[in-house]
Amino acid sequence: MLGMPGHKRVLRSILLMLLLAALTVTFARWLGFRQRADQLLRQDPDRILTDSRLMQFAAQVAQPRYRQHCARCHGGAFQGDPALGVPNIARDGWLYGNAPVDVEHTILYGVRSGHPMSRNVTDMPALVRDGQITSADAWDVVEYLQSLAGRSHDPEAALRGRSIYYGKGNCFDCHASDARGVADYGTPALTGPVYLYGGDRQTLYQSILNGRHGQCPAWVNVLSPLQIRALALYLVSAPRAHATD
Amino acid sequence: MALFASGAIIGLSIAGYGLFTAKGTRSRAVPPEAVAMVNQRQILRSDFMTQTQTQFSAPFAQTSMAQRKQTIEAMIDEELMMQRGLEIDLPSYDPDVRNALVAGVELEVTADVLAQQPTPEQLRAYYEQHQDQYSSEGVMQLRDLVATSKDSATRAAEELRHGRPLETVIKQYGLTDSGRFMDAGHVDTGDIFQFAVRAKLDDALYQATAPLKTGEVSAPVTRSDGAHLIVMIQHRFPVRQTFEQASDRVWSDFKKDAQAKVRAANLAYLRSRADIIIAPEYAR
Repeated sequence: MLGMPGHKRVLRSILLMLLLAALTVTFARWLGFRQRADQLLRQDPDRILTDSRLMQFAAQVAQPRYRQHCARCHGGAFQGDPALGVPNIARDGWLYGNAPVDVEHTILYGVRSGHPMSRNVTDMPALVRDGQITSADAWDVVEYLQSLAGRSHDPEAALRGRSIYYGKGNCFDCHASDARGVADYGTPALTGPVYLYGGDRQTLYQSILNGRHGQCPAWVNVLSPLQIRALALYLVSAPRAHATD
Repeated sequence: MALFASGAIIGLSIAGYGLFTAKGTRSRAVPPEAVAMVNQRQILRSDFMTQTQTQFSAPFAQTSMAQRKQTIEAMIDEELMMQRGLEIDLPSYDPDVRNALVAGVELEVTADVLAQQPTPEQLRAYYEQHQDQYSSEGVMQLRDLVATSKDSATRAAEELRHGRPLETVIKQYGLTDSGRFMDAGHVDTGDIFQFAVRAKLDDALYQATAPLKTGEVSAPVTRSDGAHLIVMIQHRFPVRQTFEQASDRVWSDFKKDAQAKVRAANLAYLRSRADIIIAPEYAR
C-alpha cells in the first residue's frame, strides 16, 4: 500500500467510494421497499386505496404477477373470458365482492379450487339435465332473461319464464329477486348487457341445461402475502380505471 | 485495509439479517402479513379480515376496533386448541382429524397443478381423447330373458323379430326373467340408465345389449343359467356434446386428471422413502 504509486491509490479510493455509494443506494432502496411492503401489509386495505404512493407501489409489485399468473384467463385488459366463465372485472367487478378484503380472499384461496377455504358455497346446477325443469321451461327462462336485458323477446314465453324463475326453477334463490346476482354466492347478474358466459340465447340455454362451475386457482402456496395483497389492491383499482378510460 | 473492513461489515450485516429472519428463529415481533403470533405460528391478516367480516356481517372497513380485537382473541383461542390437538397427537386416533390432514396434504401436493392454466390446445386434445365422457347418459327399457336352451332362445328371438307379442313368446317358449333388473320385487320395465345396465350385466351380455336399437332383440348369449335374450323395448342413446358445449367440464376434468397424476406420483415418492412392513399373510 505504502509503495503504491499516487495515481493508483487515488483510483482505488474512488473505486471504494463508488462501491460504498452503490451499496448505500442499494441498501436504501431495499429499506424503502421493506418499509412500503410493511405498510402495504399492515394497513387496512380500504385505506390504502386512497394512498396514491402505496397504490403505486402495489401496482409495481402486482403487474408482473398479474401478467404471469392471471392475464391468461382474466385478459390483458381485465376483460375476462366468457368461454371459461371468467368475469369482466373492468366492467362488472368481482363476483364475490369488490372490497379489497374480498378480492384478497378470492386470490388467496380461489373459487372451487379444491382448497378448503375456497369460495365454494354453490354451483350453477344443470337444471334441465337434473330434471328440475324441462327444456321448454329453460327456453322460456331464456326469453325472460332477454326481457330483463331489454332485448327483443317473446312476451308470452318471457311471462312463463318469469314464473319458472321465481317458481320451480328456484333461480331467484341464488341470482336474487332482482336478478342482479348475490356476492355471497358469487352468482352473476342476469340483467345484461354483459354475461359471465355470454348472453346470447344459445349460451344462456346451455348454462341452464348443463350448469356451470367456473374455477379460479388458490394462490396461497404460489404467491407471497405481499404479492397477494398488492394484487388485490391493484385488481380493485386498475380495472375500474381501465373501464373509465 | 478499508476494503477488507467494508467487506467484513457487509458480511456481518448479511449474516446478522439471515440469523434473525431465518425460519424457525424465535421472535417477539409480528411479521407484517400476520395479525398475531401464537407460539411462533402466524395468524394471517387476510384470514383475520375475512373472519371479522363473517363474524360481524359487515365490511371489514366498517368494523370497530373492539370487534376486531374480539376476532383476534377468538382466532388465538382456536390456534391454541389446534396446537393442543397436535400436542396430544389427535391425528393418531381421531378419524376426522386424519381425514382433514389427508385432504390438506393432497391439496398441498396439487396446489401447483391447480394454479396452472391449460391452453385451449391442451383442452381440445383432452376432449378428443375422452369424448365418451362428454355425452348424456343413455337410457334403456329392456327385458333380460332366459331360455333353457340356445335352440329355444334362437327360435324365440326369430318370433319376436317377426313381431309376435312379447308376452306370447315368453309363454310359448317358457322364458323367464333373469332377475337382474328388479324394482321393489317386480321386473323393472321402466327407464334404466345405461351405466346401471352395464353394472348389472357381465361383459358378454352388455356387449350384446349396448348396440340394440328400440324394438331389436339380441342373439342368444349362453351363460351358466341358460341362454339369454335381450329385448330392447326402448333405447335412448347417449347424445355427444360438442367441445364448446362441454368446455367447462373439459377444463375441470383436465384439472382433476392432472391432480390425480400428481397425487399418485406423490404417493409413489412417499412409499419409496417409507419403511413399510406388511404382515406376512398379506405381504404376498
